[in-house]
Amino acid sequence: MMMQHGKAKAARSNGKKTESAPHEAPAQGIWSGTVSFSLVAIPVRLVKLVEPGRISLHLLHAKDFSPLERAMFCPEEEKIVPQEEIIRGFEIEPGKHVLITGEELESVSPERSRTIEITEFIDIKEVDALYYDHPYFLVPLKGGEKSYRLLAEAMHRTARAGVAKFVLDDREYLVVIMSRDGALAVSTLHYSDEILPENALAPAAEASEENVIKKTIQGMMTGFTPEKYSNDRREKLLSIINKKVKKRAEVEAPEPEEEEAAEGVADLMSALEKSMRATKKGT
Amino acid sequence: MNGKTVTINSRELSLSNLDKDMYPPYGFTKTRLLEYYSLIAQFMLPFLEGRALTLKRYPQGVDRDFFFEKRCPQHRPAWMETAEVPYGEKKVITYCMANNLESLVWLGNLASIELHVPMAKADSPGNPDSMVFDLDPGDGAGVLDCARVALIVRDLLSGLKLESFAKTSGKKGLHVFVPLDPGKTTFQDTKTFSRAVAAIMQKKFPGLVTARMNKEYRRNKVFINWSQNDASKTMVCVYSLRAVEKPSVSFPVSWKDLEKTASQKDPGKFQVLAPEASALAEKKGGFYRELLGMKQRLPHTWA
Repeated sequence: MMMQHGKAKAARSNGKKTESAPHEAPAQGIWSGTVSFSLVAIPVRLVKLVEPGRISLHLLHAKDFSPLERAMFCPEEEKIVPQEEIIRGFEIEPGKHVLITGEELESVSPERSRTIEITEFIDIKEVDALYYDHPYFLVPLKGGEKSYRLLAEAMHRTARAGVAKFVLDDREYLVVIMSRDGALAVSTLHYSDEILPENALAPAAEASEENVIKKTIQGMMTGFTPEKYSNDRREKLLSIINKKVKKRAEVEAPEPEEEEAAEGVADLMSALEKSMRATKKGT
Repeated sequence: MNGKTVTINSRELSLSNLDKDMYPPYGFTKTRLLEYYSLIAQFMLPFLEGRALTLKRYPQGVDRDFFFEKRCPQHRPAWMETAEVPYGEKKVITYCMANNLESLVWLGNLASIELHVPMAKADSPGNPDSMVFDLDPGDGAGVLDCARVALIVRDLLSGLKLESFAKTSGKKGLHVFVPLDPGKTTFQDTKTFSRAVAAIMQKKFPGLVTARMNKEYRRNKVFINWSQNDASKTMVCVYSLRAVEKPSVSFPVSWKDLEKTASQKDPGKFQVLAPEASALAEKKGGFYRELLGMKQRLPHTWA
């Protein structure tokens, strides 16, 4: 029954865009181009460094297990709105919008870049951890190995990181390029205006209280060993899935639930009633 | 000998895994499965012809994993006839059809133990040529309860001048079919009608019948599954094997035999196994052929 599931999924997602790709092989390149600074250009491939631990569950119609699709609903007309009738607007006051056309959106989209152009080098310690978003690795392509290694080593020795702007999937990212164990890692960063100002959040504390907390923290200090922590929800969900797959738990779609007896068929009902009365005498 | 090439109607088929026991531990090999479908073909093909098949495949036998297959496998022979039928709003699926013996044998070789067919032919998928009452006994009820319900449904229908035909499900239930004129019938019609019948049966025989899907309502009762009257639904084809412990088949029962068996209270008599099926079809199955091409119309007073 696992097989049924797998098959249906594979067949149905044919040619369809999927939003996430959690099953992507870790080393699969998601972009290739060059990383460059000054006169140096190194051909590289960008690969994901982490596999997001998300387990993707499909939304199915309970009555027959058909995979569901998203549709846009108009509450005014109480109907599903087809793609060609959908436009975009920015709300300027309740109920009032300025329209943004597809062309306008396109005109502000950055062009796909083939290079990660390092414009500055910084001290990596200056980057606040809050800014780090998604980590990737750069893998050297043919002909780029030597300069890749040289760059990685030089950055490692000097504890410097390169800053660059780079377009991936229609979005321009601010990234840092860092040296890690002889390889170049890239992390996308949040833009500073995406990070909420913290002065509004931090209340003033009394010095005496601060000392107590400092002591408590000291007492709880340990080294950071990420292996100690696991995504419990993921582990538990995986174990449920595996158990069900093993037990061949039912994946066959049930029949639909019926509503109350059909309405608007009064004549039919009375004809049936009549026939039923004739029948019942015999049983 | 586990594989073999045969020629049927001058078409070559290579058969595989012939020694595989499809019904362990009962002992019914793929060879016997193919023999069964070959022998029953003359009775079964008229009910398969022109219909988009849903295959229920058990590659490892009935006690192991199975899967439903609607798409006709890509590796099908060129002569295999297929039908393009809409599935849902946007999709079209290419289904296998079994319009001849070689197709049926080829499908059997895929370990398609069960063959399921829609209520409409592929060339007019929105127009059913029959309406079905799928009588499914809940826990604590059995085929004899289904027989009681079937007889009442028959009488109820005949009061409306509609003839009906019964077959066993090959498991524990019974299926009552009402042949219709597809040119004059939509699934909306059959659904409305069958649902009304189920509702009135539930009202008049609350201790025996339920029109509700929910398992709790079905205990000790017969569930009249009217919702099978839908373009997206399929019913197991008459004469199809069923994937239960023994190679039992879905088999026609005349109303006379059904009354007799019901009065004898012998549920075992409803079971027909593959080895005896073709001889029995020869002797008793003839009446069921009348179902084909009988163009009845649902009373349209309510339409």
